Amino acid sequence: MIIDVHAHQGPWFFTMDVAALTVAAMDRYGIDLAVVSGTEAVIYDASAGNRSLAAFLGSGAPGSERLYGYVTVNPRRLAAAERDLDAYLPTGRFVGAKIHTDYTGSPIGSPWMREALTLVAAAGVPALVHTWGTSVLDLARVCRDIPGLRVIAGHMGADGYRHAVEAARTCDRLYLEPCWSHFPAGRIAEVAAAVDPGRLLFGTDSTLIDPASAFGSVAAAGLTGDAADRLAWRNAADLFRLPIG
Amino acid sequence: MVMAGISREGLRMTPFDTRHLIGDLVVTLDVDVLAGAYPDRDLPPDPAPVVLARHGVAAAATAGLRAALFDMVSGNDEVLASAPGNWVAVVPVGSLDLRDPLGAVREMERLAALGVRGVRLFPDEQGVEADFPSVRHVARRAAVLGLTVLTGGDVRRFWRPFTGLGLRVVFLDTHFYHLGDFLVAAADEPGFHTSTRLLNSPDALETAVGEIGPERLLFGSRSPYYEPLVPLLRLATGGLKPDETALVAGGNARRLLLGEPA
Repeated sequence: MIIDVHAHQGPWFFTMDVAALTVAAMDRYGIDLAVVSGTEAVIYDASAGNRSLAAFLGSGAPGSERLYGYVTVNPRRLAAAERDLDAYLPTGRFVGAKIHTDYTGSPIGSPWMREALTLVAAAGVPALVHTWGTSVLDLARVCRDIPGLRVIAGHMGADGYRHAVEAARTCDRLYLEPCWSHFPAGRIAEVAAAVDPGRLLFGTDSTLIDPASAFGSVAAAGLTGDAADRLAWRNAADLFRLPIG
Repeated sequence: MVMAGISREGLRMTPFDTRHLIGDLVVTLDVDVLAGAYPDRDLPPDPAPVVLARHGVAAAATAGLRAALFDMVSGNDEVLASAPGNWVAVVPVGSLDLRDPLGAVREMERLAALGVRGVRLFPDEQGVEADFPSVRHVARRAAVLGLTVLTGGDVRRFWRPFTGLGLRVVFLDTHFYHLGDFLVAAADEPGFHTSTRLLNSPDALETAVGEIGPERLLFGSRSPYYEPLVPLLRLATGGLKPDETALVAGGNARRLLLGEPA
């Protein structure tokens, strides 16, 4: 069993044609379930993209039953975000919130990001937040300040993965997800050796990045037994309260 | 039992088992392998020969960091000494220092006389930009000598100094974000090739093969600093035909760096 907590549905603006590949990419690597955000919601218009994703999840398209949704929150559009959270979380098909820092011009330390994360905490679902470099430390700081908030550090800081280790140590409601298009040798093994195994998740950034990147990086770390299962799916099932045996 | 970071139990039992995904894919020449160390980075977990043997990579086009960062002649001699005989497992690639274009040309001529067919450029590590005169100077001389140039750097900028020379170039840092730029540049330059290392979107390999053909893609891992499993998995699970995969997995590199027939 593998659950991908960082995936996408929809087209990208690069030279690629992957809008229909979400489930196919999962199948390449035996990924059973994925939590996806709508690319339109992340990149351009959160509400329109959330609406599109809700339609897709409810479409009955082959494989769509293996997907759960993130309600994408633009911290600069909080009223719309509150409406979207209220509309989509009760459907049961959306299980978290996604917040991208760069596309929305919202550094993690900004007041409007703090308001957005407070809103998500009140909704009672985890937030997947894009982190890079030292920003993962900012996420830990904000998470400690907001009671009940559970956050996933998307990319676990990418090249700042050693900061992610520190972030996870300082906030027990912060989880790490490893996807990145780069795959330095030993990155996952180093983090896995230093962080509570209950706080590691599997994410790919598919369909932007092929799951090969995260899958191969995690495989190279050589995790076994309970540690591998926790990262692969158990932690995600618990965090999102998914109905899995 | 642990085998250099991967447990046997892990190979069999975890959700991240890769053996069935990679199947019988064998890389016959990895175009992007480094010897030596970066003084400003941690040492890799294992040296390249250990890493590549673990993944069944048959041969490594190896360039030395000593030559790239400190001294070309002694650094390249170090790599040559690691590849005795007929260059089966290690195919030496000469590292050049663009901060010394005159010395770089002398070194290219020395290496060409020794039978080396490829030279590698490290513009990022050396703080060299695409429009520095040294890059064009080295490119011109490489074309005259018939050498294949392997180069790092952002392909959106580093395509330009290699144009119009009939030169064979392998761009080692082509990221799938920049695939479109590479493809339009390569359409006008038949000698332009790319490493697959960072073409790790769900359709980059397939798009590139569709646009410019499988002869222009070369498997590259950047071992031991990057995990070779990632480009291996991407190539093994992609949509390329077996003959196309064989070209990417080493056929093209062997043509460029060993002179084997296409």
